[in-house]
Amino acid sequence: MASELRVNTLKDASGNNSIATSFVASGSAKCWVNFNGTSTAATRDSFNLSSLTDNATGDFTISFSSSFSNNDYTVGGTTRSPGVISGGGYQAPADSDSDQATGSLRAYTISLSSGSLSVADLSYCYPSLHGDLA
Amino acid sequence: MASILKVDTITGVTTAGSIAVTGEGNSTTTNLQQGLVKAWARLDGTGTVGLDDSFNNSAATDVGTGNYGYNFTNVMNNANYHCSFAASCQMQIFSAATTAQARILCRDQNNSNEDVDQAFNSVNGDLA
Repeated sequence: MASELRVNTLKDASGNNSIATSFVASGSAKCWVNFNGTSTAATRDSFNLSSLTDNATGDFTISFSSSFSNNDYTVGGTTRSPGVISGGGYQAPADSDSDQATGSLRAYTISLSSGSLSVADLSYCYPSLHGDLA
Repeated sequence: MASILKVDTITGVTTAGSIAVTGEGNSTTTNLQQGLVKAWARLDGTGTVGLDDSFNNSAATDVGTGNYGYNFTNVMNNANYHCSFAASCQMQIFSAATTAQARILCRDQNNSNEDVDQAFNSVNGDLA
Protein backbone atom coordinates (compact mmCIF):
# COMPACT_ATOMS: atom_id res chain seq x y z
CA MET A 1 0.00 0.00 0.00
CA ALA A 2 1.37 3.40 -0.91
CA SER A 3 1.84 5.72 2.05
CA GLU A 4 2.91 9.28 2.75
CA LEU A 5 5.01 10.34 5.71
CA ARG A 6 5.00 13.98 6.82
CA VAL A 7 7.89 14.84 9.10
CA ASN A 8 10.21 17.78 9.75
CA THR A 9 13.29 16.00 11.07
CA LEU A 10 14.92 12.62 10.56
CA LYS A 11 17.08 10.97 13.21
CA ASP A 12 18.55 7.53 13.63
CA ALA A 13 16.92 5.22 16.17
CA SER A 14 19.35 6.40 18.85
CA GLY A 15 18.25 9.98 18.36
CA ASN A 16 21.51 11.02 16.68
CA ASN A 17 22.48 12.16 13.19
CA SER A 18 19.60 14.61 12.97
CA ILE A 19 18.76 16.14 9.63
CA ALA A 20 15.83 18.31 8.60
CA THR A 21 13.81 16.92 5.72
CA SER A 22 14.35 20.26 3.97
CA PHE A 23 18.03 19.31 3.68
CA VAL A 24 17.07 15.98 2.17
CA ALA A 25 14.93 17.64 -0.47
CA SER A 26 17.18 20.63 -1.18
CA GLY A 27 20.46 18.74 -0.82
CA SER A 28 19.68 15.99 -3.29
CA ALA A 29 20.76 16.17 -6.91
CA LYS A 30 17.74 16.89 -9.07
CA CYS A 31 19.31 15.67 -12.28
CA TRP A 32 22.50 13.90 -13.29
CA VAL A 33 23.61 12.31 -16.54
CA ASN A 34 26.43 10.12 -17.77
CA PHE A 35 26.48 10.40 -21.56
CA ASN A 36 28.69 9.77 -24.56
CA GLY A 37 28.90 13.00 -26.57
CA THR A 38 30.70 11.52 -29.57
CA SER A 39 28.95 10.46 -32.77
CA THR A 40 25.25 10.18 -31.92
CA ALA A 41 24.99 11.34 -28.32
CA ALA A 42 23.94 8.46 -26.09
CA THR A 43 23.01 8.30 -22.42
CA ARG A 44 24.62 5.60 -20.29
CA ASP A 45 22.72 6.38 -17.09
CA SER A 46 20.73 9.31 -15.77
CA PHE A 47 18.24 10.66 -13.27
CA ASN A 48 15.35 13.02 -14.10
CA LEU A 49 16.34 13.17 -17.76
CA SER A 50 13.60 13.13 -20.40
CA SER A 51 15.87 13.56 -23.42
CA LEU A 52 19.35 14.46 -24.56
CA THR A 53 19.65 16.44 -27.78
CA ASP A 54 22.84 16.68 -29.82
CA ASN A 55 22.65 20.22 -31.27
CA ALA A 56 26.12 20.39 -32.78
CA THR A 57 29.71 19.54 -31.94
CA GLY A 58 30.10 19.81 -28.16
CA ASP A 59 26.65 21.41 -27.90
CA PHE A 60 23.90 19.51 -26.08
CA THR A 61 20.46 20.14 -24.58
CA ILE A 62 19.52 18.25 -21.44
CA SER A 63 15.75 18.16 -20.91
CA PHE A 64 14.27 17.28 -17.55
CA SER A 65 11.37 14.96 -16.73
CA SER A 66 10.41 17.17 -13.78
CA SER A 67 11.14 20.86 -14.28
CA PHE A 68 12.85 23.26 -11.90
CA SER A 69 10.83 26.05 -10.27
CA ASN A 70 13.26 28.67 -11.63
CA ASN A 71 16.44 28.87 -13.71
CA ASP A 72 18.72 29.64 -10.78
CA TYR A 73 19.77 26.02 -10.25
CA THR A 74 23.46 25.15 -10.08
CA VAL A 75 25.36 23.11 -12.62
CA GLY A 76 28.48 21.10 -11.93
CA GLY A 77 30.19 18.22 -13.55
CA THR A 78 33.19 16.60 -15.09
CA THR A 79 34.15 15.33 -18.49
CA ARG A 80 36.77 12.92 -19.70
CA SER A 81 37.81 11.80 -23.11
CA PRO A 82 40.45 9.07 -23.27
CA GLY A 83 41.06 9.81 -26.94
CA VAL A 84 42.17 13.38 -26.28
CA ILE A 85 45.93 13.23 -25.95
CA SER A 86 47.61 16.02 -23.99
CA GLY A 87 44.27 17.37 -22.96
CA GLY A 88 41.15 16.80 -21.02
CA GLY A 89 37.93 18.64 -20.73
CA TYR A 90 35.47 20.46 -18.59
CA GLN A 91 31.91 21.48 -18.86
CA ALA A 92 30.69 25.01 -19.42
CA PRO A 93 27.37 25.21 -17.61
CA ALA A 94 25.63 27.47 -20.08
CA ASP A 95 26.51 30.13 -22.61
CA SER A 96 23.92 32.62 -21.41
CA ASP A 97 20.88 32.89 -19.15
CA SER A 98 18.65 31.85 -22.04
CA ASP A 99 20.45 28.53 -22.21
CA GLN A 100 19.41 27.72 -18.66
CA ALA A 101 15.65 27.17 -18.56
CA THR A 102 13.38 25.49 -16.04
CA GLY A 103 12.77 22.54 -18.34
CA SER A 104 16.14 22.18 -19.99
CA LEU A 105 19.79 23.16 -19.98
CA ARG A 106 21.95 23.80 -23.01
CA ALA A 107 25.50 22.84 -22.15
CA TYR A 108 28.80 22.70 -23.96
CA THR A 109 31.76 20.38 -23.61
CA ILE A 110 35.18 21.86 -24.16
CA SER A 111 38.51 20.25 -24.88
CA LEU A 112 41.85 21.59 -23.75
CA SER A 113 44.65 20.53 -26.03
CA SER A 114 48.12 22.06 -26.19
CA GLY A 115 46.85 25.09 -24.30
CA SER A 116 43.93 25.77 -26.66
CA LEU A 117 40.28 25.53 -25.74
CA SER A 118 37.73 24.34 -28.26
CA VAL A 119 34.15 23.11 -28.19
CA ALA A 120 34.39 19.39 -28.79
CA ASP A 121 32.49 16.14 -28.49
CA LEU A 122 33.80 14.15 -25.53
CA SER A 123 33.14 10.52 -24.81
CA TYR A 124 32.34 10.83 -21.10
CA CYS A 125 30.24 13.78 -19.89
CA TYR A 126 28.88 14.08 -16.34
CA PRO A 127 26.66 17.13 -15.68
CA SER A 128 24.82 17.35 -12.34
CA LEU A 129 22.23 19.89 -11.20
CA HIS A 130 21.01 21.07 -7.82
CA GLY A 131 18.16 23.45 -7.09
CA ASP A 132 14.42 23.66 -6.47
CA LEU A 133 11.95 21.54 -8.37
CA ALA A 134 8.64 23.04 -9.46
CA MET B 1 3.14 20.75 14.32
CA ALA B 2 6.84 19.96 14.31
CA SER B 3 7.66 16.26 14.14
CA ILE B 4 10.72 14.05 14.44
CA LEU B 5 11.06 10.59 12.97
CA LYS B 6 13.63 8.32 14.63
CA VAL B 7 14.58 5.45 12.41
CA ASP B 8 17.72 3.64 11.21
CA THR B 9 16.53 2.53 7.81
CA ILE B 10 14.00 3.94 5.37
CA THR B 11 12.57 1.54 2.82
CA GLY B 12 10.01 2.11 0.08
CA VAL B 13 6.71 0.26 0.28
CA THR B 14 6.08 -0.47 -3.40
CA THR B 15 9.77 -0.74 -4.30
CA ALA B 16 12.24 -1.04 -1.46
CA GLY B 17 14.90 1.09 -3.17
CA SER B 18 12.60 3.87 -4.36
CA ILE B 19 11.13 6.62 -2.18
CA ALA B 20 9.53 9.81 -3.53
CA VAL B 21 10.23 13.15 -1.86
CA THR B 22 8.02 16.14 -2.55
CA GLY B 23 9.87 18.88 -4.41
CA GLU B 24 10.37 22.38 -3.05
CA GLY B 25 7.57 23.80 -5.20
CA ASN B 26 5.13 21.17 -3.94
CA SER B 27 3.96 20.23 -7.43
CA THR B 28 6.27 17.35 -8.24
CA THR B 29 8.37 14.68 -6.56
CA THR B 30 11.99 13.60 -6.79
CA ASN B 31 13.43 10.19 -6.11
CA LEU B 32 15.28 10.11 -2.79
CA GLN B 33 17.72 7.32 -3.65
CA GLN B 34 18.62 8.64 -7.10
CA GLY B 35 19.28 12.15 -5.85
CA LEU B 36 21.53 11.25 -2.97
CA VAL B 37 25.29 11.48 -3.29
CA LYS B 38 26.60 7.93 -2.89
CA ALA B 39 30.18 8.89 -2.04
CA TRP B 40 32.23 12.01 -1.48
CA ALA B 41 35.78 12.64 -0.33
CA ARG B 42 38.51 15.19 0.17
CA LEU B 43 41.83 13.59 -0.63
CA ASP B 44 45.31 14.80 0.33
CA GLY B 45 47.60 13.85 -2.54
CA THR B 46 50.91 15.05 -1.11
CA GLY B 47 53.26 12.86 0.88
CA THR B 48 51.40 9.77 2.00
CA VAL B 49 48.13 9.94 0.09
CA GLY B 50 45.07 9.72 2.31
CA LEU B 51 41.51 10.86 2.88
CA ASP B 52 40.97 14.01 4.95
CA ASP B 53 37.27 13.34 5.20
CA SER B 54 34.89 11.16 3.26
CA PHE B 55 31.62 9.28 2.98
CA ASN B 56 31.45 5.72 1.60
CA ASN B 57 35.15 5.77 0.78
CA SER B 58 37.33 3.08 2.40
CA ALA B 59 40.70 4.40 1.27
CA ALA B 60 42.62 6.45 -1.25
CA THR B 61 45.05 4.80 -3.64
CA ASP B 62 48.27 6.47 -4.76
CA VAL B 63 48.48 5.28 -8.35
CA GLY B 64 51.29 7.66 -9.34
CA THR B 65 52.10 11.35 -9.47
CA GLY B 66 48.80 13.23 -9.55
CA ASN B 67 46.99 9.96 -10.10
CA TYR B 68 44.58 8.90 -7.36
CA GLY B 69 41.92 6.30 -6.76
CA TYR B 70 38.87 6.73 -4.53
CA ASN B 71 37.88 3.28 -3.24
CA PHE B 72 34.24 2.80 -2.30
CA THR B 73 33.15 0.99 0.85
CA ASN B 74 29.84 0.00 -0.70
CA VAL B 75 30.45 -0.50 -4.40
CA MET B 76 28.37 0.85 -7.24
CA ASN B 77 25.99 -1.29 -9.27
CA ASN B 78 27.79 -0.55 -12.53
CA ALA B 79 30.53 1.69 -13.90
CA ASN B 80 28.07 4.15 -15.45
CA TYR B 81 27.80 6.31 -12.37
CA HIS B 82 28.19 10.08 -12.40
CA CYS B 83 31.28 11.68 -10.87
CA SER B 84 32.31 15.30 -10.26
CA PHE B 85 35.86 16.35 -9.43
CA ALA B 86 37.61 19.49 -8.31
CA ALA B 87 41.22 19.86 -7.23
CA SER B 88 43.93 22.40 -6.58
CA CYS B 89 45.48 22.04 -10.01
CA GLN B 90 44.98 23.37 -13.52
CA MET B 91 43.00 20.41 -14.78
CA GLN B 92 41.32 17.32 -13.40
CA ILE B 93 40.62 14.30 -15.57
CA PHE B 94 38.24 11.52 -14.66
CA SER B 95 40.55 8.81 -15.95
CA ALA B 96 38.83 5.53 -15.06
CA ALA B 97 35.75 4.11 -13.41
CA THR B 98 35.02 0.68 -11.98
CA THR B 99 32.26 -0.33 -9.60
CA ALA B 100 34.78 -0.19 -6.75
CA GLN B 101 36.93 2.81 -7.63
CA ALA B 102 36.89 6.19 -9.38
CA ARG B 103 40.25 7.45 -10.56
CA ILE B 104 41.38 11.04 -11.16
CA LEU B 105 44.40 12.57 -12.88
CA CYS B 106 45.60 16.00 -11.76
CA ARG B 107 47.63 18.04 -14.24
CA ASP B 108 49.45 21.37 -14.21
CA GLN B 109 49.44 24.10 -16.86
CA ASN B 110 52.02 22.17 -18.87
CA ASN B 111 49.75 19.12 -18.92
CA SER B 112 52.09 17.18 -16.64
CA ASN B 113 50.78 15.11 -13.76
CA GLU B 114 51.07 16.93 -10.45
CA ASP B 115 50.46 15.98 -6.82
CA VAL B 116 47.87 18.21 -5.13
CA ASP B 117 46.96 19.10 -1.55
CA GLN B 118 43.25 18.74 -2.12
CA ALA B 119 41.24 16.66 -4.56
CA PHE B 120 37.46 16.48 -4.12
CA ASN B 121 34.98 14.08 -5.63
CA SER B 122 31.29 13.31 -5.39
CA VAL B 123 29.46 10.37 -6.91
CA ASN B 124 25.85 9.89 -7.99
CA GLY B 125 24.46 6.68 -9.37
CA ASP B 126 23.17 3.28 -8.35
CA LEU B 127 24.61 1.36 -5.43
CA ALA B 128 24.95 -2.42 -5.81
